[in-house]
Amino acid sequence: MAEPTGQTAFKRRRRIRRTVHFGEPLPPGAHTFRAAWLCGPALVWVTMFMLVPLLFVVALSFAQRGDAGEIVWRFTWENYERLFGHGSLGFDPVQPLILARSLGVGFATAGLCLLIGLPVAFFIASLPRRWKSVALTLVVIPFWTNLLIRTYAWQLLLSPEGWLADILTTAGMIPAGTALYPGWPAVMVAMVCDYLPFMILPLYASVEKLDWLLAEAAADLGASPGRMFWHAVVPQIRPGMIAGGVLVFLPATGQFVIPDLLGGAKLALLGNAVQQQFGSSRDWPFGSAIAVVALLVMVAGLWLHTRVTNGRREVSLP
Amino acid sequence: MIRRSPATALIALLVLVFLYAPLVVVIIYSFNTARYGAEWHGFTVDWYLRLIHNDPAIAATINTIELACTSTFFSVLLGSILAYGMSRYEFPFKRLFHHVLHVPVFIPDIVMAVALLLFFAVLRKWLAGFELGMTTMTLAHITFQIPFIAIVVRARMADCDPQLEEAAADLGAGPWLTFRHITFPLMVPGIVAGGLLAFTLSLDDFVVSFFTSGPGSTTLPILIYSSVKRGLTPDINAIASLIVIVSALTVVTVAWLRGRTEVKT
Amino acid sequence: MRIFLMLLALLGAGPAPAAEEFACKVTVDVYEDAESMLAKLQGGGTALYDLMVPPDHLVPTMVKLQLLTPLRRTNLPNFQNLDAKFTNPPYDRGNQFSVPYQWGTVGILVRPAPGKPVAETWGLVFDAKQQPGKFVLIDSVRDCLGAALKFKGHSLNSTEIPHLKEARDLVIEAKRRATGFDGSVGAKNKVVGKSAGAAIVYSGEAARAMTDDASLHYVIPREGSQMWVDNLCIPAKAPHRELAEKFINYVLDAKVGARLSNFLQFATPNAAARPFIKPEDLKNPAIYPPADVMAKLEFLEDLGAKTKLYDEAWTQVKAR
Repeated sequence: MAEPTGQTAFKRRRRIRRTVHFGEPLPPGAHTFRAAWLCGPALVWVTMFMLVPLLFVVALSFAQRGDAGEIVWRFTWENYERLFGHGSLGFDPVQPLILARSLGVGFATAGLCLLIGLPVAFFIASLPRRWKSVALTLVVIPFWTNLLIRTYAWQLLLSPEGWLADILTTAGMIPAGTALYPGWPAVMVAMVCDYLPFMILPLYASVEKLDWLLAEAAADLGASPGRMFWHAVVPQIRPGMIAGGVLVFLPATGQFVIPDLLGGAKLALLGNAVQQQFGSSRDWPFGSAIAVVALLVMVAGLWLHTRVTNGRREVSLP
Repeated sequence: MIRRSPATALIALLVLVFLYAPLVVVIIYSFNTARYGAEWHGFTVDWYLRLIHNDPAIAATINTIELACTSTFFSVLLGSILAYGMSRYEFPFKRLFHHVLHVPVFIPDIVMAVALLLFFAVLRKWLAGFELGMTTMTLAHITFQIPFIAIVVRARMADCDPQLEEAAADLGAGPWLTFRHITFPLMVPGIVAGGLLAFTLSLDDFVVSFFTSGPGSTTLPILIYSSVKRGLTPDINAIASLIVIVSALTVVTVAWLRGRTEVKT
Repeated sequence: MRIFLMLLALLGAGPAPAAEEFACKVTVDVYEDAESMLAKLQGGGTALYDLMVPPDHLVPTMVKLQLLTPLRRTNLPNFQNLDAKFTNPPYDRGNQFSVPYQWGTVGILVRPAPGKPVAETWGLVFDAKQQPGKFVLIDSVRDCLGAALKFKGHSLNSTEIPHLKEARDLVIEAKRRATGFDGSVGAKNKVVGKSAGAAIVYSGEAARAMTDDASLHYVIPREGSQMWVDNLCIPAKAPHRELAEKFINYVLDAKVGARLSNFLQFATPNAAARPFIKPEDLKNPAIYPPADVMAKLEFLEDLGAKTKLYDEAWTQVKAR
């Protein structure tokens, strides 16, 4: 989650390290040798159980589904053609729709989290030191609690017999017996609730380091509060905004449980589409092709994230 | 110093309510007598008492804890050594490996789950012993835990002043002594924090477990999911409440410990 | 010793009494829909389970995928207890791989508005004018699309693209008004818990719901519906084949079979068990439909390569 190295400090020390490494004289080759022993096992592990399986997925996306649902290893572009809407029932834009919808949900969740998270981050940063850690702990507790449980809890909260519905009915805002779930609003509420901590923590880390002299200078020079915020504050906290945005956007796009439980299995996102193909439809090759799309979205997010956080540290969890 | 404003304070308060409403509601409903639905029928502690005789729930709890302990043990071992190696030594393709490590962090759960399902299916054709079950789940969990531990431990090591180690060496300590008495103690808070994070990730994981589990290796999240899907929830409310309380206590303890160590240093 | 069962949700609690009589530990995994169970089996379940309960239309696919072990008839002396109507079925000639276990129908569980007769039609879900409040659709490809096909007057097994498109659009339209898709048990619990007024369910769930709450009603629509048979099968690499066969033979016993059906409230294909079935269940049209209704029931068939059409229609239904 964090890009931890003090890269700049490292570069400064590099010349010294070639000869004396943490007080110990080391020839350059010994670096590689020792690193191989220390990093080798874990890197081999991750390669074997993460990269190789992903290569299998990519390979499978070019295979065919047999009549009985078995995998036939014969090269085809068919799965990708289906992604663009071609199918046995004629053209249907359903797959592009799922992708657009997933990206939409991802952006909307990230945007809402940003809107809600900003004031909270500013508030926490304004607290006295002692209360800051209390506030951060309060934000972290839901993050450490099972996502499935929090999602299920929204089913209870939003059910037609739940209290929220009671309050809204009494207030005359909805007719009695209206179900607040399943549907889009329920999915979005749960998404924001589940991923808000991912946004608040990196935002807070940025706000905490903010140089207010710049803002004050802008105000002294006659900038309106809005202009001051936009030109003197936002550029400083942009890394936190983007890091938080990516941390919210990526898991939200690939979500499978929230739309399943709160969307009544009606609103499919990329994650649900993959699950359906690997589950009841038993079309692993096509499921792999959808997974490849999800992977490409991830790579884009990852690229953005590394660009922004390069050489910087974020708040570590908890 | 940032000025505090009543507006941000109010928003922060509302957000707190928003974040905690689901947790509180599960706990309240765990005392509801109703069998189905979310209507409030009356107060009872029966659902908690019934848990003692709920064999699937007990088996799932044991599986969950066993899985989390085993996978965290191996991932802490691999991940901490990796973090040490990566923060101390240079080697070819280091940046590439650095990115590779981020893949399990950012990959959508579902993609990782189906990739592993496929991988195990292929492995099974050539090798015995990759039947879906605790083994495959443990392998999967270690895979997503390693990067988190490595990241947390590396962050901790970047905080440490390298001069401490150089001073030890100047005073005549060999590499092993330096590691044993200086580096390792400095790493410990990072290892503990990373280990706890990894442990929680394993407890929380539903999607990867769901795809890599076999008969008899049902974990609590899988049990909760299938019960919620079937609309049978009173026992689940009780289990979920216990999980919520245990998680909250863990976080508070960790925060408290950190507070104490910070005061000391 | 362990024996693993892989059972459909249709079976609910499963045959618990077996544990004592076999001195083995029984682990039951329940799947919400038959296709998901098949997916798990294909994904590596063949060597993990000793017994499974697939519905009739999936048996040919499973045989084709070599997921099943042939049953040795000499180990199943109780096979003769079965009603001749249910043996030697078209989906498994000679009962080489499967033995019928329970049968039932697909229909609608309704909570009727007081004083109003319930219309016996799929229109309860597929026609906005007849909709009795909120309702739940069944989260199973063939069952759900089959219901829509029947409402439009087509066969459950139609592979005509226009028919399928019609059914798809019908379900998409119904889905907009529905609370969502759910497995039979989940859907039943929503009707019992009053968060839905109607749901597409299997007959056993409906019968059990009606035992709990007499105001509920089970409708087998007059447009016709589906009849299914769930079967006992042994996966290809089952670790305890002998034990599984012993268990199947035990389930085929007249009294044991009756006990299971009395608990599950599905209909039994076991002729010898009928005398031990609760008389009120035998008279219950929700469990044993009368002859005129039976005449309108249709079995699902394995559609081979055309299954793909259904899967695509279903993907579109779920995603829209």
